[in-house]
Amino acid sequence: MATISTHLRNFKEPTKEQAQRLFFSLPPNPPPEDVGPTDYRFEINAVLMLNEGQEDSYAGKLYLLPPYLCFVSLDRRSVKMTMPLSAIRRVERVNHGRAGVFELGLMLWHGMRLNIQLTALRSTADAFCANLRDALKIQLDLGRMKQVKQFVKTCYSEVLIPVSNPEADNEREDGSIMTEGGDGNALAKTTYHGGLGLTFKFPGDAKKLREGSKLKLWTTYLRAHGRNLTLLRYPHCTRLVQVGLPNRLRGELWETLSGSIFLRFSNPGVYEKILRDNAGKTSTSTEEIEKDLNRSLPEYSGYQDEKGIATLRRVLTAYSWKNPELGYCQAMNILTAALLIYMSEEQAFWLLEVLCDRLLPGYYSPSMYGTLLDQRVFESLVQRCLPMIHDHFHDVDVQLSVASLPWFLSLFINSMPMIFAFRIVDCFFCMGPKVLFQVGYVSLSSILKINGEKLLSIQDDGAFISLMREYFASLGESAHPKATDPRSRAIIKFQELLLVAFREFSIINDEMIENERRRYRGEIVHSIESFAKRAAIRNLSSFGRFSKDQIGLIYDNLFKALVVAPPPPPVMTKRLIPGTDDEMERPETRIELKTFRIFLAEIATWARDEYVVSNGFQERVERRVAEHEFVDRLFFFWDINHNGALSFQDLVNGLDGIMFNDLMSSIEWFFTLHDKDQDGWLTKDEVLVLSESLLFIFRSEVGDAYLGTVSRFMTNAFEYGDALLPEEGEKMSPIPNEVSANTELAPSLPSNQPYLNRATFRMVVLADPLLEAFFDVDLPRSFKLQPVEDSSAARGQTGLGLLGNVGGFLSSFVTDDNKKIFNSFVDDMGKAIGKHQVTVRPSINQHERNLALQEPLKETTRHLQRLRSQSSLTTPTSSTPSGVSASPMSSQSNLEKAPLVPPTSAGLKPAPVLPSPFTDVSPLAKANAAAAAVMENRQAFAIDEAGDEDDLDDSDLAELSGDDEGMMAEVDAFLEQNDASVGAR
Amino acid sequence: MADTSDATQKPIQVKLVLLGEAAVGKSSVVMRFVNNEFQANKEPTIGAAFLTQKCRLEDRVLRYEIWDTAGQERFHSLAPMYYRNAQAAVVVYDITKAASLEKAKSWVKELQRQANPNIVIALAGNKLDLVTGQASTPGTSAAASSADDEDEADDATATPGETEEEAGSESLRQVPKDEAMAYATEAGLLFTEISAKTGEGIVELFTDIAKKIPIEHILASRGAAAGGAANANRAPAVNLNETSDPKNACAC
Repeated sequence: MATISTHLRNFKEPTKEQAQRLFFSLPPNPPPEDVGPTDYRFEINAVLMLNEGQEDSYAGKLYLLPPYLCFVSLDRRSVKMTMPLSAIRRVERVNHGRAGVFELGLMLWHGMRLNIQLTALRSTADAFCANLRDALKIQLDLGRMKQVKQFVKTCYSEVLIPVSNPEADNEREDGSIMTEGGDGNALAKTTYHGGLGLTFKFPGDAKKLREGSKLKLWTTYLRAHGRNLTLLRYPHCTRLVQVGLPNRLRGELWETLSGSIFLRFSNPGVYEKILRDNAGKTSTSTEEIEKDLNRSLPEYSGYQDEKGIATLRRVLTAYSWKNPELGYCQAMNILTAALLIYMSEEQAFWLLEVLCDRLLPGYYSPSMYGTLLDQRVFESLVQRCLPMIHDHFHDVDVQLSVASLPWFLSLFINSMPMIFAFRIVDCFFCMGPKVLFQVGYVSLSSILKINGEKLLSIQDDGAFISLMREYFASLGESAHPKATDPRSRAIIKFQELLLVAFREFSIINDEMIENERRRYRGEIVHSIESFAKRAAIRNLSSFGRFSKDQIGLIYDNLFKALVVAPPPPPVMTKRLIPGTDDEMERPETRIELKTFRIFLAEIATWARDEYVVSNGFQERVERRVAEHEFVDRLFFFWDINHNGALSFQDLVNGLDGIMFNDLMSSIEWFFTLHDKDQDGWLTKDEVLVLSESLLFIFRSEVGDAYLGTVSRFMTNAFEYGDALLPEEGEKMSPIPNEVSANTELAPSLPSNQPYLNRATFRMVVLADPLLEAFFDVDLPRSFKLQPVEDSSAARGQTGLGLLGNVGGFLSSFVTDDNKKIFNSFVDDMGKAIGKHQVTVRPSINQHERNLALQEPLKETTRHLQRLRSQSSLTTPTSSTPSGVSASPMSSQSNLEKAPLVPPTSAGLKPAPVLPSPFTDVSPLAKANAAAAAVMENRQAFAIDEAGDEDDLDDSDLAELSGDDEGMMAEVDAFLEQNDASVGAR
Repeated sequence: MADTSDATQKPIQVKLVLLGEAAVGKSSVVMRFVNNEFQANKEPTIGAAFLTQKCRLEDRVLRYEIWDTAGQERFHSLAPMYYRNAQAAVVVYDITKAASLEKAKSWVKELQRQANPNIVIALAGNKLDLVTGQASTPGTSAAASSADDEDEADDATATPGETEEEAGSESLRQVPKDEAMAYATEAGLLFTEISAKTGEGIVELFTDIAKKIPIEHILASRGAAAGGAANANRAPAVNLNETSDPKNACAC
């Protein structure tokens, strides 16, 4: 078994705030000290004007999301601003002398002046200003303002547009434009970050790429609209990106447009620290990285040089340490190699973080679910918009993703000539993931247009790949080679591709992609999980005596437990011991005790406490995981390799060791389980522990027959044990003399004194028909493999809140959370009308019914039943009304069962207080009513009733609730009175 | 090995997929077979690299369409995309790494359960060069290794079936040949030990696969439709309806 991942189940749609942060490319988790003690977030309508109205004004929304101030125009497209508060130098109220206009003037680090009219009620505007002031103060106190100066020095744009000290002088310096980067003086003054391209040359012909004029255009733009930390995105910005970024600015603009610059800004020194802290360490990821270093853009001269390779190694390695769960995924090497041509290691590191975390979520994760999901989404887009291609591919069984997978995984970098791929990357960082879909889509439709006949005659994957390769290789060729107009002849296919992608296919937008992702997420999660399940089962070395279906059920239960209590990250077992054979090297999911308890509670009836809750409307079973030393003992018993954790195989082997047992082997198993040193003898302490285990297993049984049995067992065991003792002395050869001398001196036995052997144990067990029946039938059968309820969980919409909340007639359409609320609500109603009751469901004797159906009753079983019915007649049932745990009656019943079970109602959630018309009723009266209800509705002998409750399904429940027709009038009245409070919930 | 001077011959397409643990040398095996060279892989494998190689078998020309899959564990769930419809699979393991055979076995299991039922599977133990100081299987790979000037290229002179433990330089070996062979026989696989570095056994491997592939069956089901992939546009009208079995619809 490799790893079992449950994180797909934990997917949650982003909250509104998360969505906002995503939209403005903010780091997902701002440090708390930057956010401040109070919530300063604010949202206000505003009009943005740059540089005293030299630019167009835009109406939109201003967001204060400390430590950032963000703005977006009403169309959410034209203008976008993400401004660190620390880049704001001064804020002043602009007095126009016009009434009703509330305008702020913001002086920014780079000397731009931003005027913001707050178009809201005066009080709102005042509140916003107060919040802004406080948030700014926090930044000032933290010294963030000072960091700006140091930070911007790392940006190439500062070299491009030299500024005299803006703190001293807000006037612009009208320096000449330095088109070629100022290798001389400027370089000496600033230490800007740059990529391998500075050393090894940038790909492509600088002249052909028109570097000079691009740089000039950008210089103009950056001068007016801010740069690096203060860049404002006006419509012109997007247009400039679309014609391709100049090589020298590319790295900086990538990080500015993607927002990774904010991560670098707010995490100074982190990259170096990660490298330092992990220097010399290795992991699976570092090994995998090592293998791929030489095949990452090998055609680029920088990667034919050890310097370039080392750069790549450091960034990939650092990221694998930063995000060990993701580690390293092939294709990240190609991306990172591309980034490093244009940016420094630190820049690339943070951009990689943004890529993996935000822009390509789940693409490189161990399950690669993001990749699979987006491939599915892409396929559906093609199906919708290019049905011809889709239908043909469907007919000849060609899969789109054989070609499109690498496009998405490596942003086309590996698929088309580098210079073109980088332009797609430009757009990708500026406009987001939709660019990949647009370009992929337009590529297909262009081929359809150019070479449709060939595309539609493709018969297999190979031909499809070849055709795509051919097309991408020809992107540099003229799109209209036969055109008479030289200018249209000069348009290359790539230009046309981009043009079409952004003009005609703006229908593929973020919202659409998000919707499609939502649509297919469940399907993808399901297929990944069932694939993982198949693989895990296939990789088992032994099924034991289980059938394949049963193994599947064990896996399902294990998976469910993993969802509830995720395991620690898979470890490389025996990794650190040098020289051991590497058979154990592969990471493997192993569960710890916590997860095991949940797993066992799913499978073994006695490893959970089941409360049958009925309140007159519904009846449901609530499960809770039981904790007992016995469960822990089983865990370590199954952990034969002493890993401190169990693998899937361990669980299968463990269950195999008990579930198929007959009487003798069960007794043997139980004995061995408690024989810690495996010498065939139990010590006196171990006999006690074993008795406790029995008491634990029997804790929920009705009546005291089992209690009696266990005490008889103890009496007998000690009697025989004591009787064996003299013989024991002779057998004690391995124990040194001093110890046995001690034995004779001490009146009590030493803890390691062998006391009870197998044969005696067996004899004592067989002397008691109830125990015999237990070991013969009940114990092996208390392990049951049942299908895991999968309805809500499998779709990945909500995490599993409650552990196996079986039943509830609304379960089909309510979420877990709603179900909880609903349940507690009906419980309250039930209590109010005296119909609420909670019964502990016995875990052992529920098998009797099945047994009776399957085979003629054995003598022992009949005897057992007689015993049980007798006891039920003479003792109160273990039914305990909930909500009256303090009442004398309940404590009485607890007292009686004290040695057997933990208090039944202790684990129950106290019922939420609901204002109800019954509040004036005294608790005592309520208790009495409840008690009466209990007596009335008391279950008949558990043997008859409890057995089939496992199979309760919706129809049963409906029936149950339907029985109480007479009560409905009462309910209605109650509901009416509680209407208000219901609405409030 | 792979020349097709006979232009009249229509190549028969065979889809072949390479599977195996990371770093067992899948890509190197392909590079050796396709380009007859051994080098650091220049083709980064994302999902799978796609290469083709023509190959002559008796009077037929085969065109192998080779899918060299990524070995990284997380790409595993993508593998079905590449091995579906494959007529042949080479499952590669590293004879100096016992765990890689386990992974290979799991691939074989998966193929036998999930892939095309008629798939020809070959198990290939790579990196033979690491354990053959003086011992090796006989050099029937002359054709392939003619261009090799690797150190061990000409050392191939030993008896077949020699128990591997006897050889002095076998210390690196972790998978005994008989053990792997016994497994292969039991599972009904072709088996060979190869070296992508020296080229030893590579051509034989692909030839053995070619021999075992039911070519007649492919030809028969393909019917009149024919055409090489190199000139696919000449055969635009392959009749799909005739090929009920999509795995054989490889006419272009």
